[in-house]
Amino acid sequence: MIKKLADKAFKWFCNPEYYPDIRGDLEELYNNHLKNHSKWVQLRYLMDVLLLFRLSLLRPITRNSIIKIKDTGMFKNYFKISVRNLARHKMFTAINVIGLAIGLASFLLIYEYIRFEKSYDSFYTDADQLYRVSYVDVVDGKDGVKDAMSSYLVGDVLNRELPEVVQHTVTKQFDELIARSGESVFKEKRVITADSNFLKLFDYKVLEGDPESMMAQPLSIVLTESRAKAYFGSESAVGKSIEVIAPQSASLLVTGVIEDVPVNTHYKFDILISDKTLELIGEHDYKNWDWNNYYVYLKFAEGANLDGLDEKLAAITKKYVDEENETRLDIHPVRDIYLKSDFTYEPEVLGSEQAVNFLLIISIFILVIAWVNYVNLFTARAIDRAKEVGLRKVIGAFKNQLVGQFMFEAFLVNLIGSIVALIIAELALPVFNQLVGKEIVTNVWNYPTFLLTLLNFWILGSLISGFYPAMVLSGFKPITVLKGKFRTSKSGVNMRKGLVIIQFAASLVLISATFIVYQQVNYMQHRDIGISIDRVVSVTVPHSNAESREEFEQYISKLNSFKETLKNHTAIETVGATSNLPGGSDGDINATTTKVKIVGRTELLDGTTYIQYNDDEFVEAVDMTIIAGRDFDRNVKSDSVAIMVNEAFLQRFGVDEISGVVNQKIQLGTNPENQWKIVGIVKDYNRTTLKIQVEPTLYFPSRSARNLVVELEAQNYQAGLEFLEDTWSEFYPETPIEITFLDNRFELLYDHDKRFGDVFMVFSSLAVLIAILGLYGLASFLSLQRSKEVGVRKVLGASGSQIIYLFYKGFFYLIGISALLGFPLVYFLMNGWLNNYAYRIDFPWLLPVLSLVIVLVFALITVGYQTSKVASVNPAQTLKYE
Amino acid sequence: MKKFQLGEFEEIVLLTVGVLYNEAYGVAIKEEIQTRLKRKVSVGALQSALRRMEKKGYLESRTGPADKKRGGKPKRFFTITAYGKEALQHSRDVRVDLWNSIPKVALDLKIV
Repeated sequence: MIKKLADKAFKWFCNPEYYPDIRGDLEELYNNHLKNHSKWVQLRYLMDVLLLFRLSLLRPITRNSIIKIKDTGMFKNYFKISVRNLARHKMFTAINVIGLAIGLASFLLIYEYIRFEKSYDSFYTDADQLYRVSYVDVVDGKDGVKDAMSSYLVGDVLNRELPEVVQHTVTKQFDELIARSGESVFKEKRVITADSNFLKLFDYKVLEGDPESMMAQPLSIVLTESRAKAYFGSESAVGKSIEVIAPQSASLLVTGVIEDVPVNTHYKFDILISDKTLELIGEHDYKNWDWNNYYVYLKFAEGANLDGLDEKLAAITKKYVDEENETRLDIHPVRDIYLKSDFTYEPEVLGSEQAVNFLLIISIFILVIAWVNYVNLFTARAIDRAKEVGLRKVIGAFKNQLVGQFMFEAFLVNLIGSIVALIIAELALPVFNQLVGKEIVTNVWNYPTFLLTLLNFWILGSLISGFYPAMVLSGFKPITVLKGKFRTSKSGVNMRKGLVIIQFAASLVLISATFIVYQQVNYMQHRDIGISIDRVVSVTVPHSNAESREEFEQYISKLNSFKETLKNHTAIETVGATSNLPGGSDGDINATTTKVKIVGRTELLDGTTYIQYNDDEFVEAVDMTIIAGRDFDRNVKSDSVAIMVNEAFLQRFGVDEISGVVNQKIQLGTNPENQWKIVGIVKDYNRTTLKIQVEPTLYFPSRSARNLVVELEAQNYQAGLEFLEDTWSEFYPETPIEITFLDNRFELLYDHDKRFGDVFMVFSSLAVLIAILGLYGLASFLSLQRSKEVGVRKVLGASGSQIIYLFYKGFFYLIGISALLGFPLVYFLMNGWLNNYAYRIDFPWLLPVLSLVIVLVFALITVGYQTSKVASVNPAQTLKYE
Repeated sequence: MKKFQLGEFEEIVLLTVGVLYNEAYGVAIKEEIQTRLKRKVSVGALQSALRRMEKKGYLESRTGPADKKRGGKPKRFFTITAYGKEALQHSRDVRVDLWNSIPKVALDLKIV
């Protein structure tokens, strides 16, 4: 057995010239050993064979090489013929190479992007064992609002109750910190709290400090490497302290430095604050099951079975929470959060699996269009090569050899395409990074995964694009071909038509999709969202540091006089204040799951109610519409228990006659003391992206809301802004001012969608370009082939336009069929996409039609250009050889 | 000096081929070296040396008849070419020359 295997291996690697006698020697030795009754005869044989693996005895690479290529002489010939053919038909070669190169480059860049998007949170050592706990409201047995956050308690409870859970960590996004280090002031936006377990689950490398103890004390912080550099330069950071000025002044001790957090995680941060600090400043609640302000992560044991986990979680919820509570715990793998989460209150704007899938579709479209070009152009040119095939066959070439020849040619063209693709990808990389908004790779030429994919797709592309032409060309019968009565077969023509239809349909889909994405984004940006914010800017006043009632009153009066001072300026119309600025992310709002009822009208109803705190000028400043009742009024004493509601809230209670609700009372929870009088009803307005419906919202009056919205006078815009800055530095000299324009905030919400549209635009243009290139080449070959027919027709009296029409007819028909295919596909894909938006355009049928017209125009120009050339030739030229 | 390149093992093989004269094929050479020099020789080392020297022109070979004992494979007999003989001669001359150049004293002292 061993001997047989060894023999096979030997025969494979040994120089065939030496093989017979060495093999004989081996056999003789083997027999000698057998005769002498030696031990391990077979193994000795194997050893001998292994020792025969020497350079001087190996099969030579070029001739009769290890890879079974038998006639290298022919390969030289194939190469020569291929190169000559490519050089002779320069246009054909250029179209193919450019098409393949653009297609491959686009595909590979998109592929890299997709890989990046899928790599989120996969770099932790135990990434597959990490899960996040979240809350899902259950209303009437159905899932309501899904909240990514959960309460502090949950982590502890689940760790105790579920044997599968090994560790847990609880963390929270902290307010923005303003810190001072020497002369410079830093604004830290990415601050989170963490306990000692945090770095065990998310195992970022600790560069300095003791990982066990660095989170144990309040007021200690851990910096990432780059932040540590910013504060302390090259000195060691541990043991030093950072002075924080806002939200409260405090001195934080640096206890550790960790590596920088990469881009591909859903939970990014620059600074970790020990979560004991929260206790110190009173921002904690370790007992309340409903205080959903933390992200809770669990680490499950390796290979833990998660079947039946939902039931266990339900049982735990029941055990720890009173029966009435209707929430459900939900556990999701951390690796899935970035692409698959549909939760609100996520720590940052996440990616979209759908966008990734769409991109994948585009990239495949582009690649297929490029391959189709190759197939079409090659088979259209079959007549040119037919004689060569015939002759080769007559001389004695086998069909397999011819297939090999044309496959070789496909590999050659694809190789050139791949090399050009690499260059294009490298050059286009900065643009691509900008387009997707992330730096995914800096260089492709030395990026091994990219090169490997390129290699794979070179081979795959050559096989796919080369197979059909090779089969067609190698199948020609020498007699028919050499007799000169050769015509392309019917099935070949049909195949080509089919492929052209696919190309047109793909182009049509991409163009329409681009239009539709832009239309939707445009719609969202210009839809009347119910407030008017063109001239409104916002500033956020620092937190109150009040430790006593008096101090708090001081804070309020300072806030009020700041507002008054602003308002007194002529350039400023109104100054309002709110807890949540319009145009924030979907999680930028308060919410409660407490049951609510309208006293005397309805029972207590389940579900999430959203809450915003406004002062009595907010409505005016952003131009909200009050449809019944009135705004808050600071001069009305009883307005401390007043409340405003929106239409969506009333809809939830099924209230029809809106004005009837004014002056009725709303009760929160079961306590009849907790009642609020409805003074006004506002028209629904979109506080955030139009992906989300307007939520049922309660507006409470607030004195201390610190997000100010300042409505400026249109004429004195600049003066107003200047005055705002000056007044700010008078009132709050400690904190740098940050003015945001509300319309900008809304613009930013659609950044992702706009980017999606841009990506779509760029790549569908490329796809169309490749398709048109292919069509150009195809039309030129077809019209050349029919030049004699054209000559005869002209002799018989056909005019130039009649001939062009003749050519058009064929293409019209193809485009018609591709429209029939493309329209349903566009509808299916894009209607699904539009359904992501609560406020969406109706499916715009006009846009696919417009796209069809565009495709048609391009096709007509291309075909027309080629045919007119043929149609204008003097028939004497084409017919003189007949 | 690069004129004749002959490694130690190559030299032994070349000499053995000479010793066996007309009967020098793989197994015979291998066994001859093994009995005379009490030294293990692998088929691989031997064959690669043989082919290398054939390429250099020190050896030439002819194929014998197919042999049943050898699984129907022929033997390949090697013979030294004139050029090979020259190489051997050269190598021997160099050695003799070196031997002769050693001062008597050096050798004598070594014996004492």
